[in-house]
Amino acid sequence: MSAIWAEGLTKHFDEVRAVDGIDLDIAPGTIFGFLGQNGSGKTTTIRMLTTLLRPTAGRARVDGLDILADARAVRRQIGVALQEAGLDDVQTGRELLTLQARLFGLGGSAGRQRVQELFGIVDLEDAADRAIGTYSGGMKRRLDLAAALVHRPGILFLDEPTTGLDPVSREGIWRYVTRLSAEDGITVFLTTQYLEEADRLAHDLAIIDEGRIIASGSPAEMKARIGTDVVTVQIEAPDALGRAAEVAAAVEAVERVQIADGAAVVYVPDGARAVARIVLALDEAGIEVGDVAISRPSLDDVFLEATGHHLQVEEPQPAEGGAA
Amino acid sequence: MQSIATVYFLTVRSLREAVRNPAQEAGNVLIPLFFFAVTVGSIGSIAADAFGIDNFTGFQVPVAILAAASSISASAGLGTITDIQRGYFDKLLLTPAPRSAIVFGRIAADGVRTVAITAFIVGVGLIFGTGFDTGVPGLLVLLVGSFGFGMAYSGFNAAIALRTGSPQAAAAGGLLLFPLIFLSTAFAPKDVFADWLEVLATINPITYVLEAQRSLIIEGWNGFDILWGAAATLGFGAASFTLTFLALRWRTS
Repeated sequence: MSAIWAEGLTKHFDEVRAVDGIDLDIAPGTIFGFLGQNGSGKTTTIRMLTTLLRPTAGRARVDGLDILADARAVRRQIGVALQEAGLDDVQTGRELLTLQARLFGLGGSAGRQRVQELFGIVDLEDAADRAIGTYSGGMKRRLDLAAALVHRPGILFLDEPTTGLDPVSREGIWRYVTRLSAEDGITVFLTTQYLEEADRLAHDLAIIDEGRIIASGSPAEMKARIGTDVVTVQIEAPDALGRAAEVAAAVEAVERVQIADGAAVVYVPDGARAVARIVLALDEAGIEVGDVAISRPSLDDVFLEATGHHLQVEEPQPAEGGAA
Repeated sequence: MQSIATVYFLTVRSLREAVRNPAQEAGNVLIPLFFFAVTVGSIGSIAADAFGIDNFTGFQVPVAILAAASSISASAGLGTITDIQRGYFDKLLLTPAPRSAIVFGRIAADGVRTVAITAFIVGVGLIFGTGFDTGVPGLLVLLVGSFGFGMAYSGFNAAIALRTGSPQAAAAGGLLLFPLIFLSTAFAPKDVFADWLEVLATINPITYVLEAQRSLIIEGWNGFDILWGAAATLGFGAASFTLTFLALRWRTS
């Protein structure tokens, strides 16, 4: 049985097709990365799968339970940490986790024990009895993660869990997520706009753009599908980009060329051998070349190939106390 | 059972929030007491001759109680909006707790806060010689009624908060009660009103809530007034809770 399954899942807000008929089939115990830039439909998808939003059309099951017919049962099986750490600044960390445990039916000494255990897991023992308003951004994310785990869910939804965090805090969250999957067998549905995060954490991945899944597979499979090296040639004159693409495409062994961010992105089986020919051809055509780079295909290349543009990461304004 | 437990847990959470924000609670009680003092001070001395009311201070105590309930409910509406904006409301909705019970936790807390402020205002009134004609049993009835009215009125602000998510709208929601208070028998009995105002006061549920509370404080036991006050409170609650459920359904659809 799939941990998460969806068919034709759709959400429209008036005329806007936020999610436009996506299919999902996520195996239990895996980390599934849902990669896309802001506004691509990631959060809307997660809000439907976690029963916060009713789909306009389509069906979905989480842990075998229908998200509409069995919504409350679904909520018993899942833990969710949304993009904004949903916390109450007036309560202490312990009060918040204790309340969360009670709402999941975990009261008394069992609840207290679980809360203490979670503070240990997310390294917040020393801050447990402080008002949440005094926590840093990284501490709030960790507390939010602890709140999502309070009832030992089998499936964990994380909506951009590291957006806006500094590298140290980000590393900490990655460590927790990896441990949860490897040691506890929790299925993790993780949305992200960071290629590195998706590449490092996800066993399987889907790229969503304008509400539609446009590529899916494991990160290695997706990169292998490109199958070539990537030669990125910066073109000095923007109006010469089209001509540069034509010239590069005519070079021997070049499979295809895309234009992105002022560069010609050339896909070729042996980049090291081809780079000289490409630069020479451009030079002979009178096109001034800037930096040149050869790389193995990355998820950015996968994203570029699928969407025709690079993934644009939008960082939030740094919040006060954003460090861990 | 789970609904009752959820309401209890979230009522405790809201009350804890109130205790940790004493400045707000002080505002909820001081502003109604200020208007109470000004009203009694300005027309109290002529009330006996003009309206035939000997105990005008006692006559005004229920007005202060309803104004405090309005203020409490507005601050709770803002609290709900803060929860929505911070994402904490979503976190609560993501638990298996019944969603209506999640909203009712804060509404019930408003009822408790209204009871506490009612007791305080009655105490202030006693210091200024209002007396309490129905004694301790009457006070208990008044507190139960205040609990009901506090919840009923809070429902309107919960509905506004859930539907709009706007702090400005929630603040304005707290003011909705004031036109109803002015169009009731808040400051004088109906028989001195112009005909049009008498009609409006007669169909205004606030009139019956005030009359019920007054009967307990300055008239003695009057089953008719108490029943009408209870019916008005129930009607108020039915309307506000219906709007709350509709707003909750809208927010989660």
